[in-house]
Amino acid sequence: MRVSTADLSSGSLFPAAIRATSPHRVLGRFAAVVCIVLAGCGDNPPPALGGDPDNGRLLLRQFGCGSCHRIPGVAAARGNVGPSLEGVATRVYLGGVLPNTPENMVRWIRNPKQFDPETAMPDLPIAEGQARDIVAYLQGLK
Amino acid sequence: MKRLLFALSALAATVAVAAAVVIYGGLYDISATDQHLAPTYRILDVAMRRSIARRAANIVVPPLDAPPMLDRGLALYDAHCVQCHGAPGVAPEPFALGLTPAPANLAHTARAWPPADIYWVVRNGIKMTGMPAWQLRLSDADLWAVVAFVEKLPELSPRDYDGLTGALGPARTEEMPVRNRPDPERGKTAMQQYACVTCHRIPGLVGPHAPVGPPLDGIGSRTYIAGVLRNEPDNMIRWLRSPQDVNAASAMPNLGVGEQDARDIAAYLATLD
Repeated sequence: MRVSTADLSSGSLFPAAIRATSPHRVLGRFAAVVCIVLAGCGDNPPPALGGDPDNGRLLLRQFGCGSCHRIPGVAAARGNVGPSLEGVATRVYLGGVLPNTPENMVRWIRNPKQFDPETAMPDLPIAEGQARDIVAYLQGLK
Repeated sequence: MKRLLFALSALAATVAVAAAVVIYGGLYDISATDQHLAPTYRILDVAMRRSIARRAANIVVPPLDAPPMLDRGLALYDAHCVQCHGAPGVAPEPFALGLTPAPANLAHTARAWPPADIYWVVRNGIKMTGMPAWQLRLSDADLWAVVAFVEKLPELSPRDYDGLTGALGPARTEEMPVRNRPDPERGKTAMQQYACVTCHRIPGLVGPHAPVGPPLDGIGSRTYIAGVLRNEPDNMIRWLRSPQDVNAASAMPNLGVGEQDARDIAAYLATLD
Protein backbone atom coordinates (compact mmCIF):
# COMPACT_ATOMS: atom_id res chain seq x y z
CA MET A 1 0.00 0.00 0.00
CA ARG A 2 1.63 3.17 -1.14
CA VAL A 3 -1.18 5.64 -0.46
CA SER A 4 -1.54 6.96 3.05
CA THR A 5 -4.96 6.75 4.63
CA ALA A 6 -4.79 10.42 5.56
CA ASP A 7 -4.33 11.35 1.90
CA LEU A 8 -7.27 9.23 0.91
CA SER A 9 -9.71 10.50 3.50
CA SER A 10 -8.78 14.13 2.83
CA GLY A 11 -10.38 13.87 -0.60
CA SER A 12 -7.58 16.06 -1.93
CA LEU A 13 -5.78 13.53 -4.10
CA PHE A 14 -7.75 14.32 -7.19
CA PRO A 15 -7.18 17.73 -8.75
CA ALA A 16 -10.40 19.49 -9.74
CA ALA A 17 -9.61 18.99 -13.41
CA ILE A 18 -9.65 15.23 -12.96
CA ARG A 19 -12.80 15.24 -10.85
CA ALA A 20 -14.78 17.19 -13.35
CA THR A 21 -16.24 15.21 -16.19
CA SER A 22 -15.98 17.41 -19.23
CA PRO A 23 -19.21 18.01 -21.17
CA HIS A 24 -17.45 16.87 -24.34
CA ARG A 25 -16.69 13.51 -22.81
CA VAL A 26 -20.24 13.01 -21.60
CA LEU A 27 -21.66 14.09 -24.96
CA GLY A 28 -19.19 11.95 -26.85
CA ARG A 29 -20.03 8.89 -24.78
CA PHE A 30 -23.74 9.52 -25.10
CA ALA A 31 -23.40 9.81 -28.87
CA ALA A 32 -21.26 6.66 -28.98
CA VAL A 33 -23.81 4.70 -26.93
CA VAL A 34 -26.67 5.93 -29.11
CA CYS A 35 -24.74 4.87 -32.20
CA ILE A 36 -24.06 1.42 -30.77
CA VAL A 37 -27.72 1.02 -29.76
CA LEU A 38 -28.97 2.08 -33.18
CA ALA A 39 -26.53 -0.26 -34.90
CA GLY A 40 -25.98 0.91 -38.41
CA CYS A 41 -27.06 4.47 -37.78
CA GLY A 42 -25.42 6.83 -40.25
CA ASP A 43 -25.04 9.94 -38.07
CA ASN A 44 -21.62 10.49 -36.57
CA PRO A 45 -21.15 12.43 -33.34
CA PRO A 46 -20.47 16.13 -33.91
CA PRO A 47 -16.80 16.90 -34.68
CA ALA A 48 -14.56 17.33 -31.66
CA LEU A 49 -14.26 20.90 -30.32
CA GLY A 50 -16.43 22.22 -33.15
CA GLY A 51 -13.56 22.01 -35.66
CA ASP A 52 -14.04 21.48 -39.39
CA PRO A 53 -12.82 17.97 -40.28
CA ASP A 54 -12.68 18.67 -44.02
CA ASN A 55 -10.41 21.65 -43.48
CA GLY A 56 -8.46 19.51 -41.02
CA ARG A 57 -7.76 16.95 -43.72
CA LEU A 58 -6.55 19.72 -46.01
CA LEU A 59 -4.30 21.11 -43.26
CA LEU A 60 -2.82 17.67 -42.58
CA ARG A 61 -1.65 17.71 -46.18
CA GLN A 62 -0.52 21.34 -46.09
CA PHE A 63 1.64 20.83 -43.01
CA GLY A 64 3.19 17.71 -44.52
CA CYS A 65 2.06 15.44 -41.67
CA GLY A 66 1.96 12.54 -44.14
CA SER A 67 5.70 12.60 -44.66
CA CYS A 68 6.08 11.15 -41.15
CA HIS A 69 2.70 9.50 -40.47
CA ARG A 70 0.40 7.13 -42.27
CA ILE A 71 -3.00 8.91 -42.20
CA PRO A 72 -6.12 7.19 -43.57
CA GLY A 73 -7.97 9.41 -46.04
CA VAL A 74 -5.09 11.83 -46.60
CA ALA A 75 -3.49 11.54 -50.03
CA ALA A 76 0.12 10.28 -50.06
CA ALA A 77 0.28 10.15 -46.25
CA ARG A 78 2.44 7.04 -46.06
CA GLY A 79 5.27 8.09 -43.75
CA ASN A 80 6.75 5.62 -41.30
CA VAL A 81 8.90 8.03 -39.30
CA GLY A 82 6.35 8.23 -36.49
CA PRO A 83 3.45 5.89 -35.75
CA SER A 84 0.49 5.33 -38.04
CA LEU A 85 -2.51 7.52 -37.19
CA GLU A 86 -4.93 4.78 -38.18
CA GLY A 87 -7.50 4.57 -35.36
CA VAL A 88 -5.81 7.42 -33.47
CA ALA A 89 -9.18 8.53 -32.03
CA THR A 90 -9.34 5.34 -29.97
CA ARG A 91 -5.72 5.45 -28.82
CA VAL A 92 -5.33 5.97 -25.07
CA TYR A 93 -2.11 8.06 -25.06
CA LEU A 94 -0.65 10.71 -27.36
CA GLY A 95 3.08 10.53 -27.93
CA GLY A 96 3.07 7.79 -25.29
CA VAL A 97 2.79 10.42 -22.55
CA LEU A 98 -0.46 12.40 -22.70
CA PRO A 99 -4.05 11.11 -22.17
CA ASN A 100 -5.83 11.30 -25.51
CA THR A 101 -8.59 13.90 -25.23
CA PRO A 102 -9.47 16.36 -28.02
CA GLU A 103 -8.12 19.23 -25.88
CA ASN A 104 -4.82 17.43 -25.23
CA MET A 105 -4.52 16.56 -28.92
CA VAL A 106 -4.73 20.27 -29.81
CA ARG A 107 -1.93 20.97 -27.30
CA TRP A 108 0.20 18.07 -28.51
CA ILE A 109 -0.12 19.04 -32.18
CA ARG A 110 0.85 22.65 -31.47
CA ASN A 111 3.67 22.05 -28.96
CA PRO A 112 4.77 18.42 -28.73
CA LYS A 113 8.08 19.39 -27.16
CA GLN A 114 6.23 20.94 -24.24
CA PHE A 115 5.15 17.42 -23.24
CA ASP A 116 8.19 15.48 -24.40
CA PRO A 117 11.34 17.61 -24.89
CA GLU A 118 13.09 14.71 -26.64
CA THR A 119 10.40 13.96 -29.18
CA ALA A 120 11.30 13.88 -32.86
CA MET A 121 7.94 15.49 -33.66
CA PRO A 122 8.64 19.13 -34.50
CA ASP A 123 6.78 22.17 -33.12
CA LEU A 124 5.05 23.38 -36.32
CA PRO A 125 3.52 26.87 -36.63
CA ILE A 126 -0.06 25.61 -36.34
CA ALA A 127 -2.69 28.10 -35.11
CA GLU A 128 -5.20 27.11 -32.42
CA GLY A 129 -8.14 27.11 -34.89
CA GLN A 130 -6.14 25.06 -37.40
CA ALA A 131 -5.25 22.53 -34.71
CA ARG A 132 -8.95 22.24 -33.81
CA ASP A 133 -9.78 21.45 -37.43
CA ILE A 134 -7.01 18.83 -37.57
CA VAL A 135 -8.24 17.29 -34.32
CA ALA A 136 -11.80 17.21 -35.68
CA TYR A 137 -10.49 15.09 -38.56
CA LEU A 138 -8.22 12.87 -36.46
CA GLN A 139 -10.93 12.21 -33.84
CA GLY A 140 -12.97 10.73 -36.69
CA LEU A 141 -10.31 8.03 -37.27
CA LYS A 142 -11.75 5.23 -35.13
CA MET B 1 -33.40 -40.21 -47.15
CA LYS B 2 -32.05 -43.34 -45.52
CA ARG B 3 -28.73 -42.78 -47.25
CA LEU B 4 -28.60 -39.19 -46.00
CA LEU B 5 -29.28 -40.32 -42.44
CA PHE B 6 -26.53 -42.91 -42.71
CA ALA B 7 -24.09 -40.33 -44.05
CA LEU B 8 -24.95 -37.92 -41.26
CA SER B 9 -24.53 -40.60 -38.57
CA ALA B 10 -21.19 -41.61 -40.06
CA LEU B 11 -20.07 -37.99 -40.03
CA ALA B 12 -21.18 -37.52 -36.42
CA ALA B 13 -19.35 -40.69 -35.38
CA THR B 14 -16.18 -39.56 -37.15
CA VAL B 15 -16.31 -36.15 -35.44
CA ALA B 16 -16.87 -37.81 -32.05
CA VAL B 17 -13.92 -40.17 -32.56
CA ALA B 18 -11.70 -37.29 -33.70
CA ALA B 19 -12.73 -35.21 -30.66
CA ALA B 20 -12.03 -38.18 -28.35
CA VAL B 21 -8.59 -38.67 -29.92
CA VAL B 22 -7.74 -34.95 -29.45
CA ILE B 23 -9.02 -34.85 -25.87
CA TYR B 24 -7.92 -38.24 -24.51
CA GLY B 25 -4.78 -38.30 -26.60
CA GLY B 26 -3.72 -35.03 -24.92
CA LEU B 27 -3.19 -33.40 -28.30
CA TYR B 28 -4.60 -30.03 -27.23
CA ASP B 29 -1.78 -27.80 -25.97
CA ILE B 30 -3.07 -26.27 -22.73
CA SER B 31 0.11 -24.24 -22.03
CA ALA B 32 -0.22 -20.49 -21.49
CA THR B 33 2.57 -19.88 -23.99
CA ASP B 34 0.59 -21.47 -26.83
CA GLN B 35 -1.58 -18.64 -28.14
CA HIS B 36 -5.10 -19.31 -29.42
CA LEU B 37 -5.74 -19.60 -33.13
CA ALA B 38 -7.08 -16.26 -34.39
CA PRO B 39 -10.64 -17.59 -35.03
CA THR B 40 -10.75 -19.23 -31.58
CA TYR B 41 -9.71 -15.96 -29.97
CA ARG B 42 -12.34 -14.02 -31.90
CA ILE B 43 -15.11 -16.45 -30.94
CA LEU B 44 -14.15 -16.41 -27.25
CA ASP B 45 -13.87 -12.61 -27.27
CA VAL B 46 -17.25 -12.02 -28.94
CA ALA B 47 -18.92 -14.61 -26.67
CA MET B 48 -17.48 -12.83 -23.62
CA ARG B 49 -18.56 -9.35 -24.76
CA ARG B 50 -22.07 -10.50 -25.67
CA SER B 51 -22.49 -12.41 -22.42
CA ILE B 52 -21.43 -9.40 -20.34
CA ALA B 53 -23.53 -6.91 -22.33
CA ARG B 54 -26.62 -9.07 -21.94
CA ARG B 55 -26.20 -9.50 -18.21
CA ALA B 56 -25.28 -5.87 -17.53
CA ALA B 57 -28.11 -4.42 -19.60
CA ASN B 58 -30.37 -3.56 -16.66
CA ILE B 59 -27.74 -2.31 -14.23
CA VAL B 60 -28.40 1.27 -13.11
CA VAL B 61 -25.15 3.23 -12.88
CA PRO B 62 -24.91 5.57 -9.87
CA PRO B 63 -23.06 8.94 -10.07
CA LEU B 64 -19.34 8.11 -10.25
CA ASP B 65 -17.72 11.52 -9.77
CA ALA B 66 -17.77 12.08 -6.00
CA PRO B 67 -14.18 12.69 -4.76
CA PRO B 68 -14.49 10.40 -1.70
CA MET B 69 -15.63 7.63 -4.03
CA LEU B 70 -12.62 8.20 -6.30
CA ASP B 71 -10.24 8.15 -3.33
CA ARG B 72 -11.77 4.91 -2.12
CA GLY B 73 -11.60 3.50 -5.65
CA LEU B 74 -7.92 4.42 -5.92
CA ALA B 75 -7.15 2.68 -2.61
CA LEU B 76 -8.98 -0.45 -3.74
CA TYR B 77 -7.35 -0.36 -7.18
CA ASP B 78 -3.97 -0.07 -5.52
CA ALA B 79 -4.76 -2.97 -3.17
CA HIS B 80 -6.46 -5.41 -5.56
CA CYS B 81 -6.21 -4.47 -9.26
CA VAL B 82 -2.86 -2.93 -10.21
CA GLN B 83 -1.03 -6.22 -9.56
CA CYS B 84 -2.60 -7.81 -12.66
CA HIS B 85 -3.84 -4.89 -14.75
CA GLY B 86 -1.06 -2.36 -14.21
CA ALA B 87 -1.78 1.37 -14.33
CA PRO B 88 -0.56 4.36 -16.38
CA GLY B 89 3.20 3.76 -16.59
CA VAL B 90 3.02 0.84 -14.11
CA ALA B 91 3.59 -2.76 -15.24
CA PRO B 92 1.61 -5.73 -13.95
CA GLU B 93 3.45 -8.06 -11.57
CA PRO B 94 5.47 -10.87 -13.19
CA PHE B 95 2.88 -13.56 -12.36
CA ALA B 96 0.20 -11.58 -14.23
CA LEU B 97 2.40 -11.29 -17.33
CA GLY B 98 2.42 -15.09 -17.57
CA LEU B 99 -1.38 -15.36 -17.75
CA THR B 100 -3.35 -16.33 -20.85
CA PRO B 101 -5.47 -14.41 -21.56
CA ALA B 102 -3.42 -11.40 -20.42
CA PRO B 103 -5.29 -9.06 -18.05
CA ALA B 104 -6.67 -6.09 -19.96
CA ASN B 105 -5.24 -2.58 -19.92
CA LEU B 106 -8.06 -0.84 -18.08
CA ALA B 107 -7.42 2.67 -19.44
CA HIS B 108 -8.52 1.24 -22.76
CA THR B 109 -11.38 -0.76 -21.23
CA ALA B 110 -12.72 2.41 -19.60
CA ARG B 111 -12.85 4.11 -23.00
CA ALA B 112 -14.31 1.15 -24.87
CA TRP B 113 -16.80 -0.38 -22.38
CA PRO B 114 -19.84 1.08 -20.60
CA PRO B 115 -19.39 1.42 -16.80
CA ALA B 116 -22.22 -1.07 -16.14
CA ASP B 117 -20.27 -3.77 -17.99
CA ILE B 118 -17.12 -3.03 -16.00
CA TYR B 119 -19.13 -3.21 -12.77
CA TRP B 120 -20.58 -6.57 -13.81
CA VAL B 121 -17.11 -7.99 -14.50
CA VAL B 122 -15.65 -6.77 -11.20
CA ARG B 123 -18.65 -8.19 -9.37
CA ASN B 124 -18.90 -11.55 -11.15
CA GLY B 125 -15.46 -12.27 -12.60
CA ILE B 126 -14.88 -14.08 -15.92
CA LYS B 127 -14.72 -17.84 -16.17
CA MET B 128 -11.54 -19.39 -17.62
CA THR B 129 -9.59 -16.18 -17.22
CA GLY B 130 -7.67 -14.97 -14.16
CA MET B 131 -10.45 -12.47 -13.35
CA PRO B 132 -11.98 -13.26 -9.95
CA ALA B 133 -15.48 -12.34 -8.74
CA TRP B 134 -15.28 -9.68 -6.02
CA GLN B 135 -18.91 -9.74 -4.83
CA LEU B 136 -18.18 -11.75 -1.68
CA ARG B 137 -15.12 -9.69 -0.83
CA LEU B 138 -16.17 -6.10 -1.58
CA SER B 139 -19.37 -4.25 -0.70
CA ASP B 140 -21.52 -2.91 -3.49
CA ALA B 141 -20.38 0.64 -2.71
CA ASP B 142 -16.76 -0.51 -3.01
CA LEU B 143 -17.44 -2.28 -6.31
CA TRP B 144 -18.78 1.00 -7.69
CA ALA B 145 -15.83 2.91 -6.22
CA VAL B 146 -13.49 0.66 -8.21
CA VAL B 147 -15.54 1.32 -11.36
CA ALA B 148 -15.44 5.07 -10.64
CA PHE B 149 -11.64 5.03 -10.45
CA VAL B 150 -11.26 2.84 -13.55
CA GLU B 151 -13.41 5.38 -15.43
CA LYS B 152 -10.82 8.06 -14.53
CA LEU B 153 -7.79 6.02 -15.67
CA PRO B 154 -7.82 7.28 -19.29
CA GLU B 155 -7.51 10.87 -18.02
CA LEU B 156 -4.45 10.14 -15.89
CA SER B 157 -0.97 10.47 -17.37
CA PRO B 158 1.77 8.29 -15.86
CA ARG B 159 2.91 11.38 -13.91
CA ASP B 160 -0.62 11.97 -12.58
CA TYR B 161 -0.83 8.36 -11.43
CA ASP B 162 2.58 8.54 -9.84
CA GLY B 163 1.47 11.69 -8.02
CA LEU B 164 -1.49 9.80 -6.59
CA THR B 165 0.35 6.66 -5.51
CA GLY B 166 4.11 7.03 -5.76
CA ALA B 167 3.97 3.77 -7.69
CA LEU B 168 6.73 4.35 -10.23
CA GLY B 169 9.65 2.66 -8.55
CA PRO B 170 13.08 1.71 -9.87
CA ALA B 171 13.30 -1.07 -12.42
CA ARG B 172 13.22 -4.69 -11.32
CA THR B 173 16.71 -6.08 -11.66
CA GLU B 174 16.39 -9.88 -11.72
CA GLU B 175 18.57 -11.02 -14.62
CA MET B 176 18.35 -14.17 -16.70
CA PRO B 177 21.43 -15.49 -18.51
CA VAL B 178 21.95 -14.53 -22.16
CA ARG B 179 22.42 -17.77 -24.06
CA ASN B 180 21.51 -17.57 -27.66
CA ARG B 181 21.62 -15.53 -30.82
CA PRO B 182 18.46 -13.40 -31.24
CA ASP B 183 15.56 -15.67 -32.21
CA PRO B 184 12.51 -13.96 -33.75
CA GLU B 185 10.19 -16.93 -33.11
CA ARG B 186 11.12 -16.99 -29.44
CA GLY B 187 10.63 -13.20 -29.46
CA LYS B 188 7.08 -13.68 -30.66
CA THR B 189 6.33 -15.98 -27.72
CA ALA B 190 8.06 -13.52 -25.39
CA MET B 191 5.84 -10.67 -26.63
CA GLN B 192 2.78 -12.73 -25.79
CA GLN B 193 4.26 -13.50 -22.37
CA TYR B 194 5.03 -9.84 -21.62
CA ALA B 195 1.39 -9.03 -22.49
CA CYS B 196 2.45 -6.59 -25.24
CA VAL B 197 -0.88 -7.21 -27.05
CA THR B 198 -2.81 -5.62 -24.21
CA CYS B 199 -1.51 -2.25 -25.44
CA HIS B 200 -0.34 -2.71 -29.05
CA ARG B 201 -1.64 -4.22 -32.25
CA ILE B 202 1.07 -6.69 -33.28
CA PRO B 203 0.95 -8.68 -36.54
CA GLY B 204 1.28 -12.42 -35.92
CA LEU B 205 -0.08 -12.34 -32.36
CA VAL B 206 -3.67 -12.76 -31.19
CA GLY B 207 -5.08 -10.69 -28.36
CA PRO B 208 -7.15 -7.61 -27.66
CA HIS B 209 -4.80 -5.45 -29.74
CA ALA B 210 -5.95 -2.52 -27.62
CA PRO B 211 -4.84 0.86 -28.99
CA VAL B 212 -3.20 2.06 -25.78
CA GLY B 213 0.07 2.63 -27.62
CA PRO B 214 0.64 2.76 -31.38
CA PRO B 215 0.16 -0.26 -33.65
CA LEU B 216 3.43 -2.06 -34.40
CA ASP B 217 2.67 -2.83 -38.05
CA GLY B 218 5.70 -1.65 -39.99
CA ILE B 219 7.78 -1.06 -36.82
CA GLY B 220 10.73 -2.78 -38.50
CA SER B 221 11.11 0.12 -40.90
CA ARG B 222 9.91 2.96 -38.66
CA THR B 223 12.51 5.71 -38.25
CA TYR B 224 12.05 6.39 -34.53
CA ILE B 225 11.23 4.29 -31.49
CA ALA B 226 8.73 6.04 -29.20
CA GLY B 227 9.33 9.21 -31.23
CA VAL B 228 12.70 9.60 -29.54
CA LEU B 229 15.33 6.95 -30.41
CA ARG B 230 16.75 6.02 -33.80
CA ASN B 231 15.32 2.61 -34.65
CA GLU B 232 18.41 0.40 -34.33
CA PRO B 233 18.59 -3.02 -32.62
CA ASP B 234 20.57 -1.79 -29.60
CA ASN B 235 18.17 1.12 -29.09
CA MET B 236 15.15 -1.16 -29.37
CA ILE B 237 16.62 -3.46 -26.73
CA ARG B 238 17.32 -0.47 -24.48
CA TRP B 239 13.78 0.86 -24.97
CA LEU B 240 12.15 -2.53 -24.32
CA ARG B 241 14.14 -3.07 -21.16
CA SER B 242 13.83 0.37 -19.62
CA PRO B 243 11.42 2.80 -21.28
CA GLN B 244 11.66 5.31 -18.43
CA ASP B 245 15.40 5.69 -18.94
CA VAL B 246 14.60 6.90 -22.45
CA ASN B 247 11.52 8.94 -21.58
CA ALA B 248 10.65 9.38 -17.91
CA ALA B 249 7.06 10.38 -18.76
CA SER B 250 6.33 7.35 -20.95
CA ALA B 251 3.14 5.37 -20.41
CA MET B 252 5.02 2.25 -21.51
CA PRO B 253 5.88 0.51 -18.26
CA ASN B 254 9.09 -1.22 -17.30
CA LEU B 255 8.01 -4.85 -17.68
CA GLY B 256 11.22 -6.36 -16.35
CA VAL B 257 12.17 -7.67 -19.80
CA GLY B 258 15.34 -9.78 -19.63
CA GLU B 259 18.28 -9.11 -21.98
CA GLN B 260 17.77 -12.31 -23.99
CA ASP B 261 14.02 -11.71 -24.22
CA ALA B 262 14.59 -8.12 -25.36
CA ARG B 263 17.02 -9.30 -28.06
CA ASP B 264 14.54 -11.89 -29.29
CA ILE B 265 11.63 -9.41 -29.25
CA ALA B 266 13.72 -6.84 -31.14
CA ALA B 267 14.54 -9.54 -33.70
CA TYR B 268 10.83 -10.28 -34.19
CA LEU B 269 9.90 -6.60 -34.43
CA ALA B 270 12.61 -6.11 -37.06
CA THR B 271 10.75 -8.57 -39.28
CA LEU B 272 7.59 -6.41 -39.27
CA ASP B 273 8.02 -4.29 -42.37
